[in-house]
Amino acid sequence: MDIYQIILANKELLKILYALAISLICMVIVVKTDKIYKLSLHEGLRYFRNAFFFYGLAFLARYLFGVILPAINYTIIFPIFEYLIVLAGFFLLYSLTWKKFNPTETGHSSLINSHVIIFHAMAIIIALLDTLLGTFNFMFYSQIILFFYASLIAYSNYSKNPKRKFLKFYFIAMLFELSIWILNLLTATLFSFNRLLLLNIGIINVIFFLLILYGVAKVTKK
Amino acid sequence: MTAKKRERLEVIKDIIYTINKNREIKPTRLLYASNLSPQMFKEYINELIEKKFIKLEIDEKEKKFFSLTKKGQDFLQEYKMIESFIENFGL
Repeated sequence: MDIYQIILANKELLKILYALAISLICMVIVVKTDKIYKLSLHEGLRYFRNAFFFYGLAFLARYLFGVILPAINYTIIFPIFEYLIVLAGFFLLYSLTWKKFNPTETGHSSLINSHVIIFHAMAIIIALLDTLLGTFNFMFYSQIILFFYASLIAYSNYSKNPKRKFLKFYFIAMLFELSIWILNLLTATLFSFNRLLLLNIGIINVIFFLLILYGVAKVTKK
Repeated sequence: MTAKKRERLEVIKDIIYTINKNREIKPTRLLYASNLSPQMFKEYINELIEKKFIKLEIDEKEKKFFSLTKKGQDFLQEYKMIESFIENFGL
């Protein structure tokens, strides 16, 4: 029995471990950036933390509630998962682009304000469209566009300041996430959700979150 | 817009650094040292007092002076880390 067969034979347990691992990584990212956020009140940092807060919630919602509380219907869990994960993606992109949007409000909530309300609306529309049409394509396409743009910004930031080592890692992390969404789309449309492909996507996804955690830990260590 | 926000954090650091260097500093001296217009200076000072980074005190001769709070000292120590984080992640 090879490693993939062992993994596939224990997939329910591994789904829980996978969700726990990603949620834990996201929680550590949010906690480790708490002090520097509270001291600086920097908007980019604020939206960066929001992104990982919602990624953590999304994986908890999809896998933990789906496996531990199977009574909750998947038609409820999937729209919630999609809403949270799309919203997290928007927050991550906004953390890189917020300066371009001339933020003039101060002391506003970072979860609901005139700039991010559109993210909530778009995330709800994407989740509803996918639910109504029984597909994941709206989520896949929106995330591919979003991470393509995020990769370009991350590359631009790296090329402007190559001395900052983590900018390169951040660009690579964005490419990882872009490739995950492209692979997700291909797996859904061409390979009928092939389990081995989904497993590999899961592994790349963990690498993405670990890369971000590595950067956060490295920069915030004293 | 990048420069504007960067400046904001830098201005805050400069004000806190100046107060820390002098331990106690009169408002007029801090205004000169900060290189800000009186209006901007007032806005930053109000914000820093509100966020409890600095405090305005009055001595026995009824003279006003600024001093750093514990939070302000923490900010100064953590500033390099904050700056490094923002630059390393392109935020």
